[in-house]
Amino acid sequence: MNPEELVLSNLKRVMDPELNINVVDLGLIYDIDFPDDGKAVITMTLTTPGCPLHDSIVSGVKYCIEDLNQFSDVEVNLVWEPAWTPARMTPEANQLLRG
Amino acid sequence: MIPLLANTKNETNIKLPFSFILFSLICLIGSMALILFQGDSIINSQFRVPAIWSAAHLFILGWALMTAMGAMYQLIPVAFLTPIWNERFGFIQFTVTAFGILYFAHSLFHNPESALLPGLITLTGILMFLLQMFMTLRQQAKPNVLTLFVGTALISLLTAILMGIIMVYSMKTGFISDYYQAVFKSHILLGTAGWFTLLIFGFSYKMVPMFSLSHGYSMKPAKYVFTVYAAGLAAAVISFFTEISSLLTIALMILAGGFAFFAWHMLQILQKRVKKKLDYSFRFALLAIPAGLAIHLGAFICSLTGSFESTVGYLAFAYLLLWVALSILGYLFKIVPFLWWTWKYSNEIGKKSVPSLKDMMNDKAAIPVLSAFILGILSVTVSIAYKHLVLFLSGQILTAGASIVFCYLIISVLKK
Repeated sequence: MNPEELVLSNLKRVMDPELNINVVDLGLIYDIDFPDDGKAVITMTLTTPGCPLHDSIVSGVKYCIEDLNQFSDVEVNLVWEPAWTPARMTPEANQLLRG
Repeated sequence: MIPLLANTKNETNIKLPFSFILFSLICLIGSMALILFQGDSIINSQFRVPAIWSAAHLFILGWALMTAMGAMYQLIPVAFLTPIWNERFGFIQFTVTAFGILYFAHSLFHNPESALLPGLITLTGILMFLLQMFMTLRQQAKPNVLTLFVGTALISLLTAILMGIIMVYSMKTGFISDYYQAVFKSHILLGTAGWFTLLIFGFSYKMVPMFSLSHGYSMKPAKYVFTVYAAGLAAAVISFFTEISSLLTIALMILAGGFAFFAWHMLQILQKRVKKKLDYSFRFALLAIPAGLAIHLGAFICSLTGSFESTVGYLAFAYLLLWVALSILGYLFKIVPFLWWTWKYSNEIGKKSVPSLKDMMNDKAAIPVLSAFILGILSVTVSIAYKHLVLFLSGQILTAGASIVFCYLIISVLKK
């Protein structure tokens, strides 16, 4: 498993508690970068800019990557552009929401 | 990609919104109990008696306003991505306002002439809240149309409160007694349609897409909704002071038009939703929209047919309960679990399995509780129209019972 896959796999532990779907399947993770040795930079968004769970989800993502014990420095960048769209969800997540 | 400014921490100390919400539940039950014993006055449309003044202010200030304040302390930081200006000041504001409202309701019940001092204490608390919100909103990096709704709602609240104080002062001294009726009507209009409706409109633009996961809709109609509704409010206030009844009819038509425009826009947003099965409590909050629209249209038709003066009492009652209260009750079913979840599980996310928000509150309970609430309000409203005491009592018992169960459900979230 390469580092990106490892990070993505671990991030599936972070659930959006309102939708009960993890952040990876929701398509919230935009980019995973490893600029230097030991550093991981995650660029992510949320389904809506005014999400009351924004601090919780961001800190959950940070914790999950730190928990891998492979990175000495973890940075999470929350961005609003490009805005999240339902097209970013996996078919499974889409199915769950559309019922 | 545009990063969120400094990834600021936007969550408010949970104790602050909860202080307001828990206090408001006590006032809700208190007001419902007071109304229950005023059947004779209410069915005879004698609303301006001390016990009803007390119940109305306990309901509007103690429950609806305090809930709105608590919700704003939580929602403003997340919806506007701006932290609360001063949390400590928020706790002081809560204490002053809560004391003021209880003292005010007590004075209105026992001795309305002495309500000036508690009214001033309540005013101080509300002014402190307005200062808090003003200082918070001015920190907002990029104001938007929601700022316009919320800002104008806050200005309406300030004006309504100032008019309330003028009324108490006028009762005591005869000051501007010629304009007492105009001030009274403006006080009611700005306190309900100005403050609550604009606030609910504003937050609906944030919460409806969030709870339905709607994307790809246009926000352009929002500014027209605001313009039309605000114009209706201004025209109505002018009609009260000029006593031009045709202007009031036109104002009521504009207000109904603005509300219809808002309802249409909400429908457009909901048609773009990803989440097909909406939560039951959220559906009740949405049901308040057609209820509010029907009451607005009813007010316009009554004014057109010349029966507005005789129907305004129960139109206002239905408006407060079926639009304002039902919106708040429906949204509280969603907001309170959010708050408690954040307090309890925010730091656990990703570390271990945490409950979902659906596990925090029995959403299906919204169906019997809020249905009983609606049925009770409709019965009370009809009882006023037909002056039927038994119908009033059964309706009010149903409403009070639903309110008690609602409070129990809210408090039970704190055990999760």
